[in-house]
Parts: sequence; C-alpha cells; structure tokens
Amino acid sequence: MLRRLSLTHRLTAFFTAVAAMVVLGLGWLVFAASDQHFAELDQITLQDKRQLIEHLLAHAHSAEDAQGRLNEALNHHHGLLAAVVTPDGQTLFRSDGFVPLPQTQLLTTSHDMAPVLQVGSPDGRALRALLFKVSAPYSPASPLEVTIEMDTAHHAQFLADLRLRLALYALTATLVSGLLGWLAAHRGLAPLHAMRARAAGVSGQRLSERMPVDQVPVEMAELAGELNRMLGRLQSDFTRLQDFSSDLAHELRTPISNLLTQTQVTLSMPRDAAIYRDILASNAEELQRLARMVSDMLFLAKTERGAQLPRKETFSALHEVEALLEFYEAVAEEKDIRMRVRGEGDILGDPLMFRRAVSNLLSNALRHAPQGGEVHVIIERAGTDIEVTVENTGEDIDSLVLPRLFDRFFRTDPARHRSESDGAGLGLSITKAIVQAHGGKASASSLNGRTRFKLSFPRMA
Amino acid sequence: MKILIVEDEAKTGEYLQQGLTEAGFVVDLAKDGIDGLHLAEGQDYDLVILDVMLPGLNGWEVLQGLRARGLRMPAMFLTARDQVEDRVKGLELGADDYLVKPFSFAELLARVRTILRRGRSAQEVTTLKVADLELDLLRRRVSRGGRRVDLTAKEFGLLELLMRRHGEVLPRSLIASQVWDMNFDSDTNVIEVAVRRLRSKIDDGQAVKLIQTVRGMGYVLEVPEDL
Repeated sequence: MLRRLSLTHRLTAFFTAVAAMVVLGLGWLVFAASDQHFAELDQITLQDKRQLIEHLLAHAHSAEDAQGRLNEALNHHHGLLAAVVTPDGQTLFRSDGFVPLPQTQLLTTSHDMAPVLQVGSPDGRALRALLFKVSAPYSPASPLEVTIEMDTAHHAQFLADLRLRLALYALTATLVSGLLGWLAAHRGLAPLHAMRARAAGVSGQRLSERMPVDQVPVEMAELAGELNRMLGRLQSDFTRLQDFSSDLAHELRTPISNLLTQTQVTLSMPRDAAIYRDILASNAEELQRLARMVSDMLFLAKTERGAQLPRKETFSALHEVEALLEFYEAVAEEKDIRMRVRGEGDILGDPLMFRRAVSNLLSNALRHAPQGGEVHVIIERAGTDIEVTVENTGEDIDSLVLPRLFDRFFRTDPARHRSESDGAGLGLSITKAIVQAHGGKASASSLNGRTRFKLSFPRMA
Repeated sequence: MKILIVEDEAKTGEYLQQGLTEAGFVVDLAKDGIDGLHLAEGQDYDLVILDVMLPGLNGWEVLQGLRARGLRMPAMFLTARDQVEDRVKGLELGADDYLVKPFSFAELLARVRTILRRGRSAQEVTTLKVADLELDLLRRRVSRGGRRVDLTAKEFGLLELLMRRHGEVLPRSLIASQVWDMNFDSDTNVIEVAVRRLRSKIDDGQAVKLIQTVRGMGYVLEVPEDL
C-alpha cells in the first residue's frame, strides 16, 4: 500500500510523524519537570513545617503549653493543616478542615525525610501529607503522632492547565508542520513535475524534447541526463526507421504505379492474346522484383534487429568464395573481366549468410568494373580478424559518397533510378547487416582506380 | 498425381488450384485445417500443401494430425512469416519443403515436382536425350545433331538440370540453387547470362531452338510446340 503512495504524501506523513514525536516529547519533558518541581517545593514546605512543629514541641513543658504554641503557630497558615495526637488517642491539636486520613495511606517512618504522600482526601481535594512521630520533653516516653497535610489543589490545577496547553500546542504544531512539510515536499519535488511535463511532450513527432538537466537538483540531474541519452538513441533509431519507411514507400510506389497504369491501359480496350501475354509477363517480372525487394527488406530488418545467427559453424572463406566465383563466372566472361582469389582463412558463422554478403560485393564489383577489368578477392588475417576484401578496377568513387554506399536504397547516380541489374539498392546494406550480425565491420575505400570493399570478421565471433 | 491444398486465403487457394490443375495435377482445396484433415483422411493424396496460419487447426497441427493417423505423404508449408524457428519446426515435424510468401508460382511448381519426383526411384540413366540433343553423363559429353558441343563444368550442370526436367519451366532461383548451390535470392542477372551463353552453344545455328525463356517465369528446355 505504501508503495503506491505518492512521494509528496510519503514525505508529508514522515515529516508530520517526526514533528509530532518531537513536540510530544518536549511537552512531556516540560510537564514532567513541572510536576517534579512542585513535588519538591511541597516536600520542602512540609519538611519546614515538620521542623517548626518539632521545635515547638521541644520547648513545650506541658500538654497545654504545647497546645497553645501549636495554635499560635499553625492556625494562620492557609492551606496547611496539621493534627497532633497523643499515643493514647487524644487530639492535642487539629487545624480546622483537617481531613483524617485512612490509616493505610499513612506511612510511618523514623527517617528524617519521611516520605511525602500524594493522597486524595475523601472530599476530593488533592493533598500531600507527612506523618512523623516526635517526643515532647514533658512526656519523653510517649511520642506524639503528627500529621501535616498540605492542600495541593492549585498545583494540580496548574498542571492540568499546563497539560491542556501543551496538548493543544502539540496538536497545532503537528498540524502546522505537516502542512509545511507538504509544502516543502511539493516544492522540493517540483523539478520532478517539470520532468514529467517534458516527458509528456515527447512523442514520435516530437522526439527532440529533452529533460532540463540544468534546472533540476543534482540528485536528479544524473537521471535526467540518462533519460536524455536514451531519448537521443531513440531519436536516431526512430529517424532512421522513419527514413527507411518513407524510402520503402517511395521505392514501392513507382513500380506499383507502373503496374497499375500498365494493367489498366491494357484493360481499357480489347487486344491480341499475344499482347496480353506480353503485358502479363512484364507484370510478372515487375512483381518478382517487388517480391524480392520485400523479402530483402524483411531479411534486412531481421538481421539488423540483432536476431541470433541461425547457425554457426567454422567454414573456409576460400571455399565459399570459390563457389561464388564459379557462380559469377559467366557474367565475368561476358565483360571479359578476370576474377581471382588469394589467401585463405576460417570464419565462425553462417556460411549461407557469408555467401550472400560476398555475393552482393561481387555482383557490385562486376557491375562497376570496366570491360576487360579485374576483380580480386583477398582473404587475409589481420590480428584476430579475418578480412575479406573485394576489389575491382574502375573509376574512383567520390570519398564523400563512400560512407553512404552501405545506406539502404542508396545509388551513386540518383538520375539512374532503376536499372535491370541494380536490384533494389539494398545489396550493400544487406552485406553490412550480415557482417554486423557476425560482430564484424564493413568498410569501403576507393583510390587510384581501385575500389575496395572490406569485410572484417572476428575469428571467434 | 493428387495434391491437397489447405489455404484459407481464397484468392491464393484458387490460383494455386488453377495453376497446379493446369500443370496436370488433380487438386483439391480445403479452406481450413479441419476440412483439410477430413479430406486427407478420405482420399489418397501424393502431396499436401499447407498454409501455416489457418483458422481452426494451424498448418503444424494439421501435419501432426496427418502423421498421427499414419498418413505419410510429403508435405509442403507456405507461410507469410520467415522465422528460423518456424523453419526448424516445420522440418522437425517432417515437412519436405517450406516456401515463404510472396513466392513465385514457377518456384512452387518446380518444388512440387521436385518433391513428387523424390519418391520415385530414379532409374540409373547414363544419357539424357531431347530431340537431337544428347548428354552423356558418364563421359560428360554433349552433342547436338551428332556434333560435339564443348561446355564448362557449370554449363554442363545447367544443361543436365534443364534436360532432366525438360518441359518444366524452371525459375532462376531454382537453377541458382540446384546448379550453383546459391540458396538465397541472388543476382538473377547471373542466371540470365549463364543461360544465354549455354543457349548460344546449344541453339546457335540450329533450326529448332530448345532452350527457351518464359518471360516472368524462368527457362524451359523443350521442343517448341509451334513446330
């Protein structure tokens, strides 16, 4: 339950509890100290009176004399009551309003500081009493029993008032500090609300929104910074995806529109069977290209998503390259291009995917090498990597264009929108994705009439 | 040869049925897995073609149901999803082939024929002959009208494939896979060039052109009908 409580509520509750504890503790301390203080005062007063009575009785030479002295000394003391009783039960002195206390409540002791008893009188008054024995000189054998009582009603009243006031204060203070605590928590957490508001503004269309790192307290700055980096990554991925989908839509739109137009024009009037056959065949070719583009896109998406390599085995790069050279043999001979492979090395990965990656490079190299040119494949070890380089002679590629060669749908010549052999412009992206799925890198360079595409595969992928 | 197609997508099902019927097969079409299973139980099919995503029983379950009933005819899956796990699952269940949509009909037809051919014990032929074209498998020699034709190793392989399956339209992807072992959508231009070069050696100067291009489908080796 507490887990779902808002931070503000949690902080407020915590703050209020702490404030209540502090205030109540302080109140209890004040109250206890006052109580103790009064008890000590009363005790001193009672002991004073005890000394007075002892003194009086010490100088009394007869019972009457003692009675007279007691009357004189004690009758005018307001709030102080006393009774002196002889051992045989005769009352020698008794103040007006003295309350006879039940014997059980009185404690006899010979000790100097006889205990002060806090007692309630039968009529409900608060009393403190002191009981002691004193022997008078005129009858040393039989000590007199003296009880002193003190009315502590005004003390009790004061303490009751104090308690009420302390309670009220504690309550008010707790409420006020709770309110202040809430305000503090609210103010303190304001940066969080600001971040929330920013985050609410983030959407696919507005990925540029960032957390206000400079405006939040240091504790949150780290979080805000991390969120910003996350947003940055998302934004770049999202932008790429967006470009990709719009590229895709664009790439699909033209052939679909061609197909549609061609089909509708054909249907608009009756024609020869041969013409229908021709149109259908041309449509089939176009559709095959579309189908291939779609499956290339899917392959690319799957490979880039970082799907695990379906299978991994150690294979000879040379063996695979030789098979590919055989495959491209006819094309090379058509253009009188010499193809060669040198070096060797083992790669851990998927041989089918490797073939596909290198196949795209070879197809590309054969397309761009001039009549009578050369295409070389070099397999070599570089540190812990195996590098497969496909090199073709031909015009240099602008160094500005090189890094973009691996982009999807990228074509060096934007005017040449489609050529029969150029495919969908996905070949090099697929190659790159395959190499990356193997944990490697793809790069391109072009210098002195030789264009090289290099794939580095880590030996222990 | 009887083929059962289980496909819920009406257009796909009908086109497949029409195409395979025209290719000379007897074809039944079921719209869902349960119907498919019933049909397969009642009749003797040489091949079932199963869509993976089907209402009721999916393609995997239909195949399991068939196998559970002791029906061991070959099966081929069609799917819109190309997931490795799917492929593995299909093969584990004993499927004979697996085609991912969109596929070309030429491809499907070629594969269907490959599967159906598998069952029959191939007689040990040593020579293939179409019209006056002869291919000697033992001596690796080809002659047209008695005159020797020199071919490279791969050209020989290509011609052997075309002759073994003469009369069938072979899509480029199948040729790439069978002759060069390139089992992915490769540059189809390569096959075009290879076939063109082979054709120039076989058909140039001949009245009867045996190797023909079927536009939008692939290549076929046969004696043209209009002669």
